[in-house]
Amino acid sequence: MRIGQNPAKSIDSVPQPARVTVAIVTYIPFLSGYYAQSLDVLKACLESIWGNTDPPYDLLVFDNASCPETRAFLTGAHQQNRIQYLVLSDKNVGKGGAWNFIFQAVPGEFIAYADSDIRFYPGWLSSSLAILDAYPRAGMVTACPMRTPEAFYTTTLEWARQESGATLENGKYIPWEVYLQHVLSLGTSEEQAREWYKSRSDWRLTFNGIQALIGAAHFQFTVRKTIIQEFVPFSMNRPMGQVRSLDEQINQAGYLRLTTCEPLVTHMGNRVPEGTSPRSAASPGRSRSLFDLPFIRKPLLRLYDAIFRLYHQ
Amino acid sequence: MRTGKNPAKDGLPAYTPHRLGIALIVYIPFTQGYFENSLQVFGYQLASLRAATSEPFDLLVFDNGSCLEAVSKLKDLHALGQIDWLVLSAHNMGKAGAWNWIFAAMPNELICYADSDVLFRPGWLPASLQVLQAFPKAGMVGAQPNFYDVMEGEGQAHQALHFDPEYRFGDYWPDQGTVDEYCFGIGANDELAAQFHNTPLPSITHQPSDTQAILGASHMQFIIPRQVARQVVPLPATRGLLRAETMSLDHKIDQLGYLHLSTPRAHVFHMGNTVNERLLQEVEQITAIPASHETARKRAPARASRTQRWLTSLAKRPRFQRLLLRAYNLLFRVLYSESQEK
Repeated sequence: MRIGQNPAKSIDSVPQPARVTVAIVTYIPFLSGYYAQSLDVLKACLESIWGNTDPPYDLLVFDNASCPETRAFLTGAHQQNRIQYLVLSDKNVGKGGAWNFIFQAVPGEFIAYADSDIRFYPGWLSSSLAILDAYPRAGMVTACPMRTPEAFYTTTLEWARQESGATLENGKYIPWEVYLQHVLSLGTSEEQAREWYKSRSDWRLTFNGIQALIGAAHFQFTVRKTIIQEFVPFSMNRPMGQVRSLDEQINQAGYLRLTTCEPLVTHMGNRVPEGTSPRSAASPGRSRSLFDLPFIRKPLLRLYDAIFRLYHQ
Repeated sequence: MRTGKNPAKDGLPAYTPHRLGIALIVYIPFTQGYFENSLQVFGYQLASLRAATSEPFDLLVFDNGSCLEAVSKLKDLHALGQIDWLVLSAHNMGKAGAWNWIFAAMPNELICYADSDVLFRPGWLPASLQVLQAFPKAGMVGAQPNFYDVMEGEGQAHQALHFDPEYRFGDYWPDQGTVDEYCFGIGANDELAAQFHNTPLPSITHQPSDTQAILGASHMQFIIPRQVARQVVPLPATRGLLRAETMSLDHKIDQLGYLHLSTPRAHVFHMGNTVNERLLQEVEQITAIPASHETARKRAPARASRTQRWLTSLAKRPRFQRLLLRAYNLLFRVLYSESQEK
């Protein structure tokens, strides 16, 4: 039976969600072989978010059945309020399954999604939001210029050619070094990268005073929640390999696929780049207050308990 | 850079959810006062769920900003495989805020929600499923007869069935034990209990299958089909536990034309925040595991000192009671607000 009134009823207000939810999916089943450095990569990823994200945001991490070491790190970060929402899945529900959960559940107006092997640089979120705000049909915005198959951006090209206020240019706008770094991170050889770079060009757009390149990819993107919700649920019967359909669907549904002109995120892969080991960045962690001091908190809790017993005796 | 191929891309199958998903919201900001027995009660709930649920299910626990001790316990249960999805929120999003996550994201065809102080009895699922099958427009189905119409007579969805010859409306008189148990669970006083004893519950029967259900469902525990759950979110969520916000669920369900229904028999029981011998006996019966009598013994009244007796008699005076309640709520706010900034 219930004795007394649930104190939750006296909570006058609860924190409202930030405009943006930054969401990361992790899957590090063990710390050897392919995943030997993955925990360090994850730490570098989160540190770069904590240190380089300016607009207010909530951080959600969906852990897709990782090893105890990874979970210990994540729960520690959650306890320090560096992760606002931590979802621990007992089984790997696939990247699609994690996306289904994230894209339907998160409270933010915008969702900034990234795999757990992405490094973020200052301005990544504000630049992405600027593009989303300036381009009314913007679907996915990736904070790194890249070349993607034309089949994924036919809608964007069509819109740019028809929109009188938009300026469309074709040329080599992605610097070779930026292109090379991204392609190498995917495991491609430099020789192959050089050949690809020479044979193709980039599309650059200007609209409402904001420049963007045509592209976008599912490893990192920012999207309006109302738009991404049109595409869930995703098929989720395999851990990976089914998420590329999102790129096609966004294009087919008539939304733009864009990137920032500057590289504001990079793909680390499963190796921490040399000279960039995880560091302690400033974060919006918990600030200890007077009532957190054990010699103050404990007597208050005892008093609280005593009053409860006396009142409901 | 990426070295080698991600083994997850090798076509391994991902986990496929069960038909039934059960979601519980936990909020234990500290383990004193009102919440002294909450972890123990939650343990009984989990044990009863495992013992009394007749088909496999996925269990999601949404922790709404509990204290470290509670979160630690939940993490242990998750590590032991007792919880399939553990959602840890750094702050209390309110009950409606947590529902927004649960109803939007649970992948299961049927979503069962329960507060973290509900005991499940064998048969709760078949009884609920029978109602769901007999009433295709069922939006919420509780496994305990609903005694209190949260819609306060404003519900409209069931009116359409008045013209359907397959359904018959009537009164249902629950047996005395069921009413007593409900009154005990909510801590009803004699006057309120008498009202419940003397008032029949509105019922509806699906005649072809001879399935009877009570009109109305409680927020304490219910099954909501996923396709209905997806339509009711987002719910307004600005307070910890505000009736108007949780009731918006009922209004949306009714406006969408779905029914609030419950089973005529009590297949779940509201444990509340206390542990007593009666509860422990039932937990033992359901789980076949001896339940701990530790708390019951601990709470047994010891011989009170003169000061305690004086304070107890003082606490019965309305003015002093009001003062105590104000002090209690003030302390809760101080301790709670600090937890919120954790």
